[in-house]
Amino acid sequence: MSAGTLVLLLAWGTLVGIDLVSVPQMMIARPLVAGTIAGLLVGDPETGVRLGVVFELFQFDILPVGAVRYPEYGPATVGAVAAAHALGGSTAWGIGAGLGLLVGLFAGWSLHWLREANARAVRRAAATLESGDIRVLARLHAAGLARDVARAAVVTAVGLAAGWLLVRAGATGLPLRVFTLTAALAGGAALAAGVSGLLRIVGRGASFRWFAAGLAGGVAVLWIA
Amino acid sequence: MDRVTPPAAPPLGASFLRLFAVQASWNYDRLLGVGMGVAEEPLLRGLRGSGGDGAAYRAAVARGAHFFNAHPYLCGLAVGAAARAEYEGAPPEQVERLRAALCGPLGALGDRLVWAGWLPLLSTAAVAAIALGAGWGAVAGFLLIYNLGHVALRWWALRAGWDAGAGVVGALRNPVLQRTPTLVLPAMALVAGFCLPLATRWLVRPFPLAGALGCAIAAAVGVALLRWQPGRIKSLWIGLAAVTLGLAGGWLWR
Repeated sequence: MSAGTLVLLLAWGTLVGIDLVSVPQMMIARPLVAGTIAGLLVGDPETGVRLGVVFELFQFDILPVGAVRYPEYGPATVGAVAAAHALGGSTAWGIGAGLGLLVGLFAGWSLHWLREANARAVRRAAATLESGDIRVLARLHAAGLARDVARAAVVTAVGLAAGWLLVRAGATGLPLRVFTLTAALAGGAALAAGVSGLLRIVGRGASFRWFAAGLAGGVAVLWIA
Repeated sequence: MDRVTPPAAPPLGASFLRLFAVQASWNYDRLLGVGMGVAEEPLLRGLRGSGGDGAAYRAAVARGAHFFNAHPYLCGLAVGAAARAEYEGAPPEQVERLRAALCGPLGALGDRLVWAGWLPLLSTAAVAAIALGAGWGAVAGFLLIYNLGHVALRWWALRAGWDAGAGVVGALRNPVLQRTPTLVLPAMALVAGFCLPLATRWLVRPFPLAGALGCAIAAAVGVALLRWQPGRIKSLWIGLAAVTLGLAGGWLWR
């Protein structure tokens, strides 16, 4: 992978990271989008879309309500796609998924640290904020955004570096059956997350009947196709 | 507080743009408060001249930055309503009460309409389309359609809040707003159900029989664990365990 591609991936992962909470929340942070674009950037759209779908299924298990803590899968998907591509593309996406899950965990912690840092800054400026000084308010807000940009960049860089370390450690030479089994089991775990998360969102009652109807329709399409 | 004539052409555009970054300084003390103050500030500039020394403006800016929590797409409603209430001469306590009263309804409505409705509806539709061979065009379609709704909702919220002022609760009774979840939620459930078999087939297809079996077993065990201990067992840990098992199993299985 060229230095230029790495820079593009870093920039993309950073944008994805800040989209989750800070700005503009247009859902480029969804793994489906983050992974697909990362795949296009590395010239491997198939791996990008595949890992995008895998992490999108994991994402269904997360409902970002209130101040709940959760893993962040956007920049993690970017790192996963880069790693899988470097390890051998579409056959290696299981290893990429494992790496992405670890990065997602780290990214979730980083969101907590960011919020604590923002809270400390607000506490320090509390008196001036009460005076209604718009310059202080704007500075505080801009500093929060700057912290999130730095956080997202670091998380993406960690993902890209971890992929690079895997390649350096000789993971490209793993037997095909290792790639196949990790991908199969990671895919199964993603499906479990998707089913569980969607069932929780759908709930019981009338919505569940619609869900069952959709399920039957999906099975029918598979039968016909 | 004295009543001040609101600007004939309020700077809603500036406020609207700032609302896209309303969560940029999200923190555990004031949650969205600081971002709300920043987004409300352009609408409050008409208050600068009212007290001579801009005291009304500064007090309103300070109030705007107090604790606030709601769905980010709908908090424009509170920004617009609170700013308008300041021009209407509402006492500070009333503005604070108005903001506090809006937190719950705006959070619940947004979570239901967007996080549990519009977003999973389009996201599962995109996954189903990919499984049916649509490729990255499905992702482009997801982004475009999702954001048409997203941007429209943000703009409606700000506009409705500014128009209604302290009487903003009426805006929440808007029939379109009340009826939309009753259409979006069943549609989301239908598409979510439709997506799952297609996604399963699409994920399993490249594997040999043994791999497909492993995938099915991992999915079944994972669903059982996640449904057995919801909230305690996390899907992320199941995913990591699955990859670790895959690495170990693939290494040992010669």
